[in-house]
Amino acid sequence: MRVTAPSVRTRLTLWHAGVLAIVICLFSTGTLLFVRARLYRGLDEQIGQDLATIEKVYREETGDLGELDHRMGLTLFEVAEGHTVIYRTSSWPPPVTRPYRLRTSADATHRVSVARDETGVRQTLWTLAIVFAVGIPCAFGLAMAGGYLLAGRVLAPVGAMAESARRITAESLSARLPVDNSGDEFGRLAGVFNETLSRLEAAFEQLRRFTADASHELRTPLTSLRSIGEVALHRSLTTQEYRDVVASMLEEVDRLTRLVENLLLLTRAEAGRIPMTRTVVDLSELVVGVSDGLRVLAEEKDQAWSVDVAEPVTAVCDASILRHGVTNLLYNAIKYTPNKGVIRVATTQTPAGDAVIEVQDTGPGIAAVHRERIFERFYRVDDARSRATGGIGLGLAIARWAVEANGGRIELESEEGRGTLFRIVLERSLP
Amino acid sequence: MRRTMRVLVVEDEKKVAKALCEGLQAEHYDVRVASSGEEGFFLVNHEAFDCVVLDLMLPQRDGLEVLTTLRKRGLHTPVLILTAKDTVDDRVRGLDSGADDYLVKPFAIPELLARIRALLRRGRPDQILKLHQDDLEIDLMTRTVMRGGQTLELTVKEFEVLEYLLRHRGHVVSREMLTRDVWRIAARATPFDNVIDVTIARLRRKIDDPFEVKLLHTVRGVGFVLRRDRG
Repeated sequence: MRVTAPSVRTRLTLWHAGVLAIVICLFSTGTLLFVRARLYRGLDEQIGQDLATIEKVYREETGDLGELDHRMGLTLFEVAEGHTVIYRTSSWPPPVTRPYRLRTSADATHRVSVARDETGVRQTLWTLAIVFAVGIPCAFGLAMAGGYLLAGRVLAPVGAMAESARRITAESLSARLPVDNSGDEFGRLAGVFNETLSRLEAAFEQLRRFTADASHELRTPLTSLRSIGEVALHRSLTTQEYRDVVASMLEEVDRLTRLVENLLLLTRAEAGRIPMTRTVVDLSELVVGVSDGLRVLAEEKDQAWSVDVAEPVTAVCDASILRHGVTNLLYNAIKYTPNKGVIRVATTQTPAGDAVIEVQDTGPGIAAVHRERIFERFYRVDDARSRATGGIGLGLAIARWAVEANGGRIELESEEGRGTLFRIVLERSLP
Repeated sequence: MRRTMRVLVVEDEKKVAKALCEGLQAEHYDVRVASSGEEGFFLVNHEAFDCVVLDLMLPQRDGLEVLTTLRKRGLHTPVLILTAKDTVDDRVRGLDSGADDYLVKPFAIPELLARIRALLRRGRPDQILKLHQDDLEIDLMTRTVMRGGQTLELTVKEFEVLEYLLRHRGHVVSREMLTRDVWRIAARATPFDNVIDVTIARLRRKIDDPFEVKLLHTVRGVGFVLRRDRG
């Protein structure tokens, strides 16, 4: 059988009660001991005074000892010289039925013994003990009940939060927990939970959009494939025409393949399933390599091409993944910059040691409204134009992944009509 | 005369098997098709093949299992595996089990043919210093290109592309092959197709435009081929 852990409320109460019990026990025991000591000291002082009085009377006028008995209420004493009893009160020796405290002072010639009844002291102590014995459990019970109620009151918001949280599902992510008092602990908890919900909602929204976009992007080439095939079957064609049909279908297949490859890459990247091999990489060399590869495209468009890698810049990263990112940025720069535009790539090292790669173009720029979302998968500034140039809308998403996977970030500066600057910043890290 | 090479294709997907079979027959290979691991296993054990194309995901008997058993029996037939999983782990496992090469689905037929040619060529010394097609000739030592007695000036990349096309002359070379083998980019998701098209266009301007007979052809939807045009 499984024993379920007691609720937080019960545990709080038990802890609270336990601590209280220890404190009360220590306190009452201490009180009892203290009171007992005080009472007995008082009794002893009285007996001391009795002794002194009897001594004095004995020394001055022995005959008056009897008067002490009557005048001063000293009813229990005995004075003896050696074995001869000088005086003994009527009730001496004290009866054994009641507790007495006895003291004797003696010297060479005589001995004085005094006793006093200590029933009163004992009774007082007993009464106190009984008060404690009855009062403590009562107080303890009250404290337990109070603690339990209080814990319930304090924990009530947690229960309410749990209940609200349970009602929030993937479909109702826009709901939020009520925040009663944002200053206290529970308010902060609700606040943090709400922030998480916001992020979750954004992620879900992005996923929803992505799924819709992806299915659209996948359906487009599939539709073309299908209609090209269907139309071709309806008519009889010459061999050359059939070749054209097949070639055109193959082109669509190519497009589909490229799309799937890119999607797979991103999906794997997001699942963290792409192995990274970090080494010290010469970024200048990497940038020169990428730009040599893509340069022909810029030459075709008569674009001015400048690669500025004067100083050596190194960073710890996975070269092939970073190369992928730089390639995509540079490719985009060439693609969106008109003929005779200017493309500039540069690597620099900041005084703080961060490595920076800049890709700058004189293209149309990116309007502020698009800047936030430009790195999202399938996000396009101008749908019609991007489709015409054959992009699949994943280049920047892959570029961002490539940089962030290497612990860096991409910054974007753009002025509409003037151009765009993408800046990859890799923070300095020790190899 | 050269002996006809025998190739065994172990593939359960009927359409793929048919396409592979026809593609290989067009290149004059003698092809046998097995549609299950069991059948493939039986055939390798009873007949002699020069090369095996093996799908990894098979009914009855897993492709890797077939491969492992094959190698345990001491058969050194070159094996090219086909897989739909392109994670590094799967490749490593395939190669560890004794495969000579692998291709990830979806693959292009020209690429498969190129790989098979390479496997069959393996072991033979490759001491070619000059490659040519008709009156086009390149010297791999001096890295010069001549056509019709004229020296042509090519960039480094253009030369590499031409060399690659010449090594596969008469056979179609896909963009993927060029990306991987000439540009040496392993990732399949990079936008290099445009770079290849531009480079091919420039190469064509230099080696074909000034001459009557065209040698470098685009096979739409597939790739490029270097051969004497057959119309």
